Amino acid sequence: MSETEKTQFTVVPGEAVGTVAAQSIGEQSTQMILRTFHAAGIASVVTTKGLPRLIELIDARKKPKFPTMQISMEKGVESKYEKVRDIWRKLEDVKVKSLKLNVDEDFRTSSMVITLDPEKLSFFELTARQVVSKLSKLEGVEAELDGGAIKVKAKKKEGIKATRTTFVNILDTSVSGVPGINKALIQQNDDGTYYITTSGSNMEEVLKIDGVDKKGVYSNNPFEVARIYGVEAARNLIANELLTTIKEEGLTVSFRHIGLLADAMTYTGTIRSAGRHGIAGDKDSVLARAAYEETVKHFINASVFGEKDQLKGVAENILIGKQIGLGTGRIKLAVKKEDIKKLSEK
Amino acid sequence: MAEKNRRSSIYLDGRYIGSVASGEQFASEARKNRRAGILSGEINVSYSKKLSEVYINTDRGRARKPYIIVENGASRLTAEIEEKLKSGEIDFSYLVRKGVIEYLDAEEEENANVALRPENIDSRSTHLEIDPATMFGLTMNLSVFPEYNSVGRHPISSNFIKQSQGLYLTNFSRRYDPRAFLLYYPQRPMVNSQVYRTLGIEKHPTGQNFVVAMSTYYGYNMKDAIILNRSAVERGLGRSVFYRSYTDEERRYPGSQQDHFKVPAPTTDGYLGEHAYAKLSEDGLIEGEMEVKEGDVLVGKVSPPRFLEEQTSFGVGEEKSRDNSVTVRSGEDGTVDNIMLSETTGATKIVKVRVRSAKTPEVGDKFASRHGQKGVVGLIVDQNDMPRTKDGIVPDLLLNPHGIPSRMTFGHMLEMLGGKAGSLKGETMDGTPFAGNGKEIVDEYGKMLEDHGFDKFGDETLYDGRTGKKFDAQVFTGVVYYNRLWHMVSLKLQVRSRGPVQILTHQPTEGKPRKGGLKFGEMERDALVGHGASLLLKERMLDQSDKAEIWICNNCGDVGYYDYIKNTPVCQACEGHDLSMIEISYAFKLLLDEIKSMHILPKVKMKGE
Repeated sequence: MSETEKTQFTVVPGEAVGTVAAQSIGEQSTQMILRTFHAAGIASVVTTKGLPRLIELIDARKKPKFPTMQISMEKGVESKYEKVRDIWRKLEDVKVKSLKLNVDEDFRTSSMVITLDPEKLSFFELTARQVVSKLSKLEGVEAELDGGAIKVKAKKKEGIKATRTTFVNILDTSVSGVPGINKALIQQNDDGTYYITTSGSNMEEVLKIDGVDKKGVYSNNPFEVARIYGVEAARNLIANELLTTIKEEGLTVSFRHIGLLADAMTYTGTIRSAGRHGIAGDKDSVLARAAYEETVKHFINASVFGEKDQLKGVAENILIGKQIGLGTGRIKLAVKKEDIKKLSEK
Repeated sequence: MAEKNRRSSIYLDGRYIGSVASGEQFASEARKNRRAGILSGEINVSYSKKLSEVYINTDRGRARKPYIIVENGASRLTAEIEEKLKSGEIDFSYLVRKGVIEYLDAEEEENANVALRPENIDSRSTHLEIDPATMFGLTMNLSVFPEYNSVGRHPISSNFIKQSQGLYLTNFSRRYDPRAFLLYYPQRPMVNSQVYRTLGIEKHPTGQNFVVAMSTYYGYNMKDAIILNRSAVERGLGRSVFYRSYTDEERRYPGSQQDHFKVPAPTTDGYLGEHAYAKLSEDGLIEGEMEVKEGDVLVGKVSPPRFLEEQTSFGVGEEKSRDNSVTVRSGEDGTVDNIMLSETTGATKIVKVRVRSAKTPEVGDKFASRHGQKGVVGLIVDQNDMPRTKDGIVPDLLLNPHGIPSRMTFGHMLEMLGGKAGSLKGETMDGTPFAGNGKEIVDEYGKMLEDHGFDKFGDETLYDGRTGKKFDAQVFTGVVYYNRLWHMVSLKLQVRSRGPVQILTHQPTEGKPRKGGLKFGEMERDALVGHGASLLLKERMLDQSDKAEIWICNNCGDVGYYDYIKNTPVCQACEGHDLSMIEISYAFKLLLDEIKSMHILPKVKMKGE
């Protein structure tokens, strides 16, 4: 970067970076449409896009509407399709109901007969014995192999409603794979190497799988990333997700604005939303909080706890009619007492 | 799903009432009976083959449209009947009664096969349009050549026609409309339509025929601005009069009190000053033909006080009254046109005063043609500076050609051509929707123009009035019927530097009638914050708004006041006199008061000094 560029891009002391960032992101996002379109027929993982995704990130939702992961492979694995396929088999959460061919329920004896689909079993490289062993681990259930079918019986007779719940639980039992990952797809990079995208995420479990590049696992859930890699990684994730979401709409916002927003959301060590439960609600000033939302609540709490307002922020100073401490209001002229003496002596 | 030979359900006004073997047959039988007058003509029957259901609708609020009935490939409106119609022997309602014309609602239209014109009737036709123009509404039919315009322009165009100034009624001098506009010299349009003539709108014209050249003028007609010829304006082009009526009533109040029309005494509460009442006569009403300006009193009225007075130690004092006069609206002036004094049903006096003012077209006034082509006057040019044709014709209006292609208003251009041809020939032209073929119309007008020595496409060689130089390009010139719309700058313009403030917040008022300022809102505030213009922001939010000087107790931090009799500040909370004055927004003082009303005591701690 040249010297002129450096001075050009350096932020001047007292610059209202927050307001400018808010305006820069806000102005662009008015162009975004609330409704998102999905391209049909393309093998890809469904994700939230556009304004809804932006709102999801800024509101710091605990779980995204469509969590996804991108999983890179280790050096020796990434270019070999067979090996990647092995990993893929371990990923997708296979449930009993996705292996079944037919289910016969008998509510009188609280038992059911599950016929398994041999094609599906061999596809996931599973045996009926494995399914039975998984099922017998369930509480209050007896399972035994009977030819190609599995006989399951509830140990206690509890009436139709309870039996029904047991049956549903049995079918929802996962046989293999990582819980939380509903679907996985193998995709190819431009250089011929393979990676896997998933819908649903579970970073902890995925990282335990052999062959997965420990440094190349990406999730779009900031909270998950913060839990495993720490808040700095979550900050980068938020900024990156915001940037790509905005870019996908064909809009441009300087990364500095987005980075600032991500910083403001994470600098406390946890992820905060930008609304009244986060950044705006954590402000020190009573007046600034009351000016935003839930005015009465803030005043009453302030009176209960005897809060003091230092009148330092922008919102408070505009309210009382003082010059704000930003921009030209940042600079104060200070004169030492000795200097005044010197001047008056002259 | 639809099984064959299924019985059809019948619904009367949406309610199931029974079923028949064949719904189609039932519907056609019902229609036959309706046409014969056995069933009411206000019943509509429709049959849905897909659902095998019959809907009979008799309820109110259905939009219905008349059609000529076609039977066996022949229209029931025969030449014989048409002859009788022309001679006035029979009328429209006769045709409806005799089953020549029937009204269809939206649902029954689904079963109809309507031929657009008599020559389009074939074996499948069930109805015939009375005229293709009936697909447009009444207002759109007052326009010409709408079928050549983009559909999106039709609603815009009919809106403008509704807003036009003209001769709205001929008894205007006896009416006291709250506001009314009258064109000084209204004209019949050079090109009009069948509906226009039939309704006699010619007797209530809404505009004038302008000579229009499609040319730019030194950038003064960019973005839908128009240029007017000053001499044409001085000759009366687009000149109109604006009537504003004021109403006031002598109201009665409980306790046998009532308002009185009279010149208020100087002791009255809210007395506006001697000069404001100068034009009133003794009865408190203004005289006719009196020039009035903003703030002048038209009707002097005194009302009893709003609240009952307490008895003073001197007994019942002199009866107090407050001024409740009617004044001329802010920013308006004119001449008193007429005054009406009457009595209401409640036996109280009512007075109406009509003020008239002439409105000459000026920069900022709005004009529109009948094709949704609106424009605001951008400049009024002296005739000698306007472009002229070789024959010395100077256009009244210069329209920027850039406004045409994107809006696709070909009807506007056709009208220009037709208006020009008609003006040369000396007769009005017909522009009824769907009455002609575009190419034939252009050829017909072209021939008329050529017969009078003009270019057949309406192009003219123009010479710039300022330089005398010939324009490089030929300029399309014609005659268009333009309407002056009632959005005029003189009724909208408003400025404020200082002025009234609201009582509650001490902030400037809002809106034109209150001489208000323009709102400096949240987003504008954020823009200044973003620029870091802290002193400008303080000026907007405090100095130009609700600056207040407030005394704060140094001891207890509560708000006090300055006692000018004892010449010392007072704190009512701790009864001290040690207070400091601060400059603060009145809104904040109000906030402190409101917090106090919530039983929370806010304290202001002072720093330094």
